[in-house]
Amino acid sequence: MALMINKKYNEQDQIWNLELSGEVDIYTVEKLKETFNKIIEEKKETIRIDANNLDYIDSTGLGVLIGAFKKLKIEEKTIIIYNIKPSIKKLLNITGLDKIFTIEG
Amino acid sequence: MVDVKEQINMNKKSNDVITLSVPNKPEYVSVIRLTVSGIANRMGFDIEEIEDIKVAISEACTNAITHGICEEENKFVVDFFTEEEKLTIYVYDNGKGCLSSNIKTPNIGELKEGGLGVFIIKSLMDDVEITSNNGKGTVIKMTKRVGDDV
Ligand SMILES: Nc1ncnc2c1ncn2[C@@H]1O[C@H](COP(=O)(O)OP(=O)(O)OP(=O)(O)O)[C@@H](O)[C@H]1O
Ligand SMILES: [Mg+2]
Repeated sequence: MALMINKKYNEQDQIWNLELSGEVDIYTVEKLKETFNKIIEEKKETIRIDANNLDYIDSTGLGVLIGAFKKLKIEEKTIIIYNIKPSIKKLLNITGLDKIFTIEG
Repeated sequence: MVDVKEQINMNKKSNDVITLSVPNKPEYVSVIRLTVSGIANRMGFDIEEIEDIKVAISEACTNAITHGICEEENKFVVDFFTEEEKLTIYVYDNGKGCLSSNIKTPNIGELKEGGLGVFIIKSLMDDVEITSNNGKGTVIKMTKRVGDDV
């Protein structure tokens, strides 16, 4: 199962818009990691993730989000996630990450 | 019509064992997720329970692949035991085994990457047992009961 990533920088709001579709697991996580590294290197701005089409994320994917958040936090930027499916919301809840990232909707 | 009825009756009482032998490759974890959702769906688990089982088994298989690697054995084994009211899953690897001291309850305030997998498995499944023989691999046993809202 694949992972698709759409990224776009919004100059006006100074925010990265990231759209994730598919599944993040041990097979696809490398791609997610690369994307995060790249965009943070380019511009250390808040990353806003549309998770509407994200079906699955595992602990390795959550690890990448935590790593990215740590880098952003230094600059007082954050990670926003919205349109989250119930199963993923449950995971963020269990791990306490819903209190670390900004969850919308 | 008679056929359908018989099939339903058969589904109900079947205690079965399904065994998968899986290459130690990341691309097969999604195949295992698909397999378990088929098995769990047939047993009458609801959507939320099926998601829980999928997440838990993925974490166990990911650990078998990343921590349980062994030079001689490039595969791991997953057993599914289906009973009327519960599904028991075993994931065996032949790796170096793991120290129970490596498994901690994550402190999210520390913002550490890694160390979430086993905690997630324990949160989503009804019963979890990890057995490790030093040098002889790890077995993780996890059970989910049908319609058991915790
Ligand atoms: N099958 C295994 N063989 C050997 N060691 C294991 C195995 N499963 C887990 N461990 C040990 O237990 C620790 C905790 O596992 P856990 O899945 O919770 O975290 P992780 O795999 O390190 O990171 P994450 O799952 O968050 O990506 C691992 O770091 C590893 O040391
Ligand atoms: Mg793990």
